[in-house]
Amino acid sequence: MADSAAALVPTPLERARADALSPPWHVWAVLVAATSAVVGVIWDISWHRTIGRDTFWTPAHMAIYASGIIAGVSCGWLVLRTTFAGEESDRATSVHFWGFRGPLGAWLCIWGALAMIVSAPFDNWWHNAYGLDVKVLSPPHVILALGFTGIELGAVLMVVALQNRAMGEGPGRAKPYSLLLAYGFGILLLNKAIMGFEQIGFPQNAHNGLYYEVCAAVFPFLLVAGARASTLRWPATTAAAVYLGISLIMLWVLPLFPATPKLAPVYRPLTHMVPPPFPLLLVVPALGMDLLMRRLGTGRDWLLAPLAGVTFLAILFVTQWFATEFLISPASETFLFGAQRWNYNSYPGGWEHRFWRIDIDPATPTKLAVAAVLAMVSTRVGLWFGNGLARVRR
Amino acid sequence: MAAVAAATLALSAHVGSPDTYYEGSAGPYRVRVIVRSAGVVPGLAQITVRLLDGARARTVTVLPVYWDPRTAAPPPPDTARVVSGDSSVYDAALWLMTGGSYGVQVAIAGPLGTGATIVPVLALATRRLELQKPLALGLAAFGAFLFIGALTIIGAAVRESVLPPGAEPDRRRVWSGRIAAGAGGVMLVGAVLGGRSWWNAVDQGFSRQLYRPLASTAAVRREGGRAVLRLSIVDSAWRQHWVAPLIPDHGHLVHVFMVRAGALDPFAHLHPVFVDSSDFDAALPPLPAGRYRVYADITRESGFAETLTDTLTLQGSTTQWHPTDPDDAWIETGNGDRGMRNGDTATLGDGSRMIWNRGSAPLVAGQDAPLAFTVVTRDGRPVTLEPYMGISAHLMLSRDDGTVFVHLHPQGTISWAAQQTFLLRGRADTIRGVVGRRLTQAEAGMLSMAAPPPASGEVSFPYAFPRAGHYRLWLQVKHSGKILTGVFDTEVR
Repeated sequence: MADSAAALVPTPLERARADALSPPWHVWAVLVAATSAVVGVIWDISWHRTIGRDTFWTPAHMAIYASGIIAGVSCGWLVLRTTFAGEESDRATSVHFWGFRGPLGAWLCIWGALAMIVSAPFDNWWHNAYGLDVKVLSPPHVILALGFTGIELGAVLMVVALQNRAMGEGPGRAKPYSLLLAYGFGILLLNKAIMGFEQIGFPQNAHNGLYYEVCAAVFPFLLVAGARASTLRWPATTAAAVYLGISLIMLWVLPLFPATPKLAPVYRPLTHMVPPPFPLLLVVPALGMDLLMRRLGTGRDWLLAPLAGVTFLAILFVTQWFATEFLISPASETFLFGAQRWNYNSYPGGWEHRFWRIDIDPATPTKLAVAAVLAMVSTRVGLWFGNGLARVRR
Repeated sequence: MAAVAAATLALSAHVGSPDTYYEGSAGPYRVRVIVRSAGVVPGLAQITVRLLDGARARTVTVLPVYWDPRTAAPPPPDTARVVSGDSSVYDAALWLMTGGSYGVQVAIAGPLGTGATIVPVLALATRRLELQKPLALGLAAFGAFLFIGALTIIGAAVRESVLPPGAEPDRRRVWSGRIAAGAGGVMLVGAVLGGRSWWNAVDQGFSRQLYRPLASTAAVRREGGRAVLRLSIVDSAWRQHWVAPLIPDHGHLVHVFMVRAGALDPFAHLHPVFVDSSDFDAALPPLPAGRYRVYADITRESGFAETLTDTLTLQGSTTQWHPTDPDDAWIETGNGDRGMRNGDTATLGDGSRMIWNRGSAPLVAGQDAPLAFTVVTRDGRPVTLEPYMGISAHLMLSRDDGTVFVHLHPQGTISWAAQQTFLLRGRADTIRGVVGRRLTQAEAGMLSMAAPPPASGEVSFPYAFPRAGHYRLWLQVKHSGKILTGVFDTEVR
């Protein structure tokens, strides 16, 4: 990918933009917004697992909605300035939208912010109509998730356009943006891991067929798309490390905050926030995918897709199958692994140390074969998306 | 006489009246407690605690405790806030996360010391909320904006985002953008339709889980010269013992009320005795022919009090009636024309009079109703009432279409037995029937020791009518060993 992108000849306007080596303020703003969303959602899940009750005004909710406000206001301002008061170089690196001009990523961020705003009254009505659900997936939550996913994707688009324009400016000029791009993909990985919390969130799920099918459908897409669009040597690994890093920070920081349950029934007398379960070790399959992509290079995507898909699943399967055996064992009950921290309302029992649903959904060869096909498809679509990203310049 | 069971009415516990009203003592404090149902589970019920008799409090705390004793520990109670403008009224939200029976512990600390009481409350999904038109229009408008915005972004991405800075898209790129937006539109329409199916599935699932009382049937058979009403609980959940057993409330496992539809007259209050665990029989009074609504109040050992419903068509009449239980009573006022009287005085069977001290203000739905009555002799002297099933008075009220039927006591809408289960249940009481047996043993003593009704002949009931409409009220008291029923009609705005 780097070769093909480098072939693009930079124009003077591109050079002018790329000369500004430090990323512009709006890029930092949207990356902060993207981070705020995932941190807020992880915090919110912990809130529900520890305290139980909430209001619209909990700090976790504020972190989520701050994402929309930061992204919406910063990108709204960017669009207005680009349209009415910007320099020619700014307008030259923008796209049209109903008479206004702005970077493509900014429009996606604004769209995401609006979707988040729409979800708030819808979610409120939903709770009044169907009860105070604590599900991750409900129609209004999906609209909210589409909103902050739009913001995260918008941030990725803004960064990748800057990276691609800086690539012709000499060695290393694009690297700061490539690092930010990997960060953006790490946020997207985290986003998807949160959305699949009920299927792949707990190590106790790791011997289910559905666990590998969901992982195979979701993660290869992001890993190869980010890798194909990046100039880094280990792009997928870096993105997976970002996912792991933020997850571990949340895992270690949340239990430092005192909190007690405020809803019945209280089966566990908690004193501190419940952290998320230990994250998936995506860095291991990501490393394998990076190696494979470097070896095969570009132009052989139809070969790369099945190879990378199977490689991802095989490494993920071996890694998670055995790592989770440790993570569900009493030996993992340490601060470091954060395991065995359970909801206030989860009835104590031996189920904490068992793999769940293996009687009705075991990881059979058939289900693993389905997962392998999903991984191949996910990889192929991810390569298409990554190739597209590699061409984005506005 | 033949009986035909007809369609069951779609109703809720205390038919059509899901809110809880309670008046009683919390130690040295007299309180009136109102719990407004959320209508969904999990949901937030709103509790209001009013201190009566001019008392003041330093703190009022509330804590809903689920009936199941497996609960390891309750969360800390919530401190209710003073309602602005009235320092004797406190309110708070109750988080009821599981459907079923709760005992809400209300604790008061103030100048008179501390006091506490328990108010039984049910968490039930009782209504399906419509999407209000303004909100629906707003969401649709925003949705359309987001839809078109998404297509525009897709079009711009394909048309311009890959162009070198400053370059204008050529004709081919413009068309590529349009085609991509069109393809994106098809996918988005699919996503919207999928979302709609999901929403519909959730809505249908919710509707299926709306609260319905245990399925029951009411039928009448002839035995010699008398007619016998049989109430049967036919619900599979009951037959398979998935729900807690019955406990007596005011000395009876079942309180049956029969009201002739349309005329709301006559009215009968019967207490069937059990034949087996699901069937209950009572001798039927000589009711005239017609279609009757049958309501049966029961309380389960979990503190779950509900009203079973059925309808029954009676053809012909018997004249012979030997009540199954001395507390059984019925009345026919002869006012069969369904004319709504607004009179505030009813003449009772022994010639005494029952006066509704309702004031001149109209009754308004959702607002405290002045349900205060005085029973006086023919010459106007207060009657000393006797306990009727251990309590001074029972007030039943029904909306003329039968969509509301409530059985009230001076303590309000709560089941006395339900309240007792929360007081009598120990943390180790996990065996079915233990609490019920304890309650049954204690009940005789409790009822006989119940405070005698006031000599003033006055009784009152805390309640607010749930909906506007025409209502009939039947107030039953006991005097000189006779059960006396006063009938009133009223209109609620």
